[in-house]
Amino acid sequence: MIAKTKKIHDAMENVGALQAIRYVDPEFIYLAVTNARCATADVFIKPGDHVDCCQVVGMRHGPFFEQPIHSTVSGTFVGIEKHYHRNGKLVDYLKIQNDKKDTLTKDAKQRTPEEIAKLTKQDMTEIIKQCAVVGLGGSSFPTYIKFQTDKPIHTILVNGIECEPFINADHRLLMEYPYRVLDGIKYVMQAFNCKHAKICIKSKYKDIKEVYDQVLLEENYKDSGIELCCVGNYYPQGWEVEMIKNAEGIQLAPGELPANRGIINFNVSTIVGIYKAIKYNMPVIKRFITISGDGIKSPKNFRVRCGTAISELIPLCGGYTEEGAEKVFILGGPMMGASVPSDDCIITKTVTSILVINKRSYQEEPCVRCGSCVLSCPVHLEPVQIMNAVKALDKERIKKLNPLRCIECGLCTYSCTSKIQVTDYVRRAKLFAKM
Amino acid sequence: MTIVKESAPHLRRKASVTRMMVDVLIALAPTLIFAFVVYPLNTLWIFLISLFTMNACEFAYVGLRNMMPKDNLKHSFKERFTYSYKGKYKLSNALTASISAIIFCLIVPAGCPLYAVFLGSLVGITLGKLVFGGLGSNIFNPAAVGMLFAKICFGNQYQQVDTWYYTIPDAASGGTPLGVLNGGNLTNIGDYPLLDLFLGRIPGTLGEVFKITIILGLIYLLIRRSADYRIVVSYLGTVAILMLIAGLTIPGVNALHFTAYALLSGGVLFGATFMLTDPVTSPINPPSRWIYGIVAAIFTVFIRLFAALPEGVGFSILLANMIAVFLDHYEWTNPRYTWKKYLAMGLLLVLSGLTVFLVIKFGGVVNG
Repeated sequence: MIAKTKKIHDAMENVGALQAIRYVDPEFIYLAVTNARCATADVFIKPGDHVDCCQVVGMRHGPFFEQPIHSTVSGTFVGIEKHYHRNGKLVDYLKIQNDKKDTLTKDAKQRTPEEIAKLTKQDMTEIIKQCAVVGLGGSSFPTYIKFQTDKPIHTILVNGIECEPFINADHRLLMEYPYRVLDGIKYVMQAFNCKHAKICIKSKYKDIKEVYDQVLLEENYKDSGIELCCVGNYYPQGWEVEMIKNAEGIQLAPGELPANRGIINFNVSTIVGIYKAIKYNMPVIKRFITISGDGIKSPKNFRVRCGTAISELIPLCGGYTEEGAEKVFILGGPMMGASVPSDDCIITKTVTSILVINKRSYQEEPCVRCGSCVLSCPVHLEPVQIMNAVKALDKERIKKLNPLRCIECGLCTYSCTSKIQVTDYVRRAKLFAKM
Repeated sequence: MTIVKESAPHLRRKASVTRMMVDVLIALAPTLIFAFVVYPLNTLWIFLISLFTMNACEFAYVGLRNMMPKDNLKHSFKERFTYSYKGKYKLSNALTASISAIIFCLIVPAGCPLYAVFLGSLVGITLGKLVFGGLGSNIFNPAAVGMLFAKICFGNQYQQVDTWYYTIPDAASGGTPLGVLNGGNLTNIGDYPLLDLFLGRIPGTLGEVFKITIILGLIYLLIRRSADYRIVVSYLGTVAILMLIAGLTIPGVNALHFTAYALLSGGVLFGATFMLTDPVTSPINPPSRWIYGIVAAIFTVFIRLFAALPEGVGFSILLANMIAVFLDHYEWTNPRYTWKKYLAMGLLLVLSGLTVFLVIKFGGVVNG
């Protein structure tokens, strides 16, 4: 109807209450040689080589940064195989047989609290760069670049909102490892020398609130300046602009960096990645994921080794429902996640969830200009006007309508009463506008 | 199991265009039933003729639009028919034509000759909608186009119809309620008590007169959010404000009575509920919708008070439809409320209020 869409119907609302199943020792793990941000890479090992856990086995070359590839298990390098990556392309993967001993490289040493207290921001930036910590909310943007800002920071916002339906990875992380999250935040606060930090969660997650209300009373965290901040339950609350608006009351201008306003924000998984890097000098080797959707018999949360093949996890969820039906296989959330053409995918560290949903086809009607997409758009664009401009191939008109501000949240398609794939048109408009 | 690719997002909400159209039909139903009760036979014929004509035009249009391309092969009629209609003529086509037909049926008077009904609905749907490209592409409200065509071309052939529901007051005293407003003698305003206006015990069109059912429909549409409240509020609000100014200016008239009279007479309420809120012909973004309602109201008031014809709502809707296209122009379209838009709304209200005041005060158009 003609109204702003904020809530997205979540058919799997209570999966977050399930404790994550540990599946951390698969027979083989697969490491992506390249990824969406890094197009080329060097591999340092040969088939038959023994690798240690956390050993650097290759180097990815991005447009303005280098990213080491770490082995997430110890074992033997078998060879290179092709599997699907999150971006929907077939990518080379290094296949490593797990010897299940988890022998660490000598680099992975534990730092004592005294050593950590001495670390400066430059030291931490270097550690994070060596450990290849990236934004684990899905952006995979290198975290050390965020650390390089020289703007004064007064507040750290930790994004545990996960506004997309069906996903519970950050929910489980916050529930199961509160000390890692809080210690990670303390390290980041030390690096930026700031006094306040807020963990932002959806206000409907009462269980997380109970845990942190308790933990924050403890001696270590009582006066640390960390607090829990319950924000809205709507979509896209997890987008940084919306989160900063609701947590801090600051409205960022389009394209403005939060650091300009003295705020820096990290996903909660990234915070734990930073914690691991600083405390143990280890990269991200395990993560929480959710396997969900109506195409899965029993949706579950998992804690898995990065590099696990998804096909091993599906049987643990009871397999697929209705074998005959057409399914859509999504890495990420149902609103922004990427659909991959096969279930032969690998969990990389930026995969937050795996959704298998039954394919639904919608009958597209002509647009009746109801304006729901305009009302729903979080960046105040007019998706329907952009769509008409794309249909008319009018480049001037497209540019005037600013499609580059679009964050591809998918609300225009979701809210469309005519079931038109409006987001696709806006994506095309973005290509036009860039030309 | 087969895995297919699909671009994000992978979820859709439940609301659909068909459901919105059904909502409008549901909202129209009480008014239509009332018309059937008051003028059973006239309504039946007008309803059937307009429904049939508009649906037939829509059906023919879909067929013509999707004709099989010319090749040198022979195709049977059945083949051609399925090519043209399969998957192309949808439920929404039938629903939208039916909505236009019912609205048209409700805004013509019971005494409208049947050939005028036929021609009006034919012209309404063709020139009002199909020439622009059918559903979703039309600029004008098809029902309003049809009604005005019938009225302008065949207005003198309209007859007075007697009904059990009310008795027409003495013909000598002052014509229709709208005639009283438009250049008539305002002392006759007492001919039609407000209660009679509210209950529809006045001469008028089939559906516009009975306010209770229209208000029921309006409430239903607003609760279901199938009509945008912005347009309804800004339109009715502006009509009320301008009519209040007019009432205060005209000497010897109770301003509140005058405003209520203006809101309850004619098609103001019906137009605001069912015609102005048609999403296809209204602007897309929220601030433009406020402006759109204000502009439509200004046209209504000006036509009612100063024009040579009494029917303000139909014309004002068509004029506002044209403004909608202008408001949606890509150079200045913007869904945010900016100070410029507030300024535009304020200026529109102030200037039109001033015009109403000055014209009545010094123009001597309306006699008290």
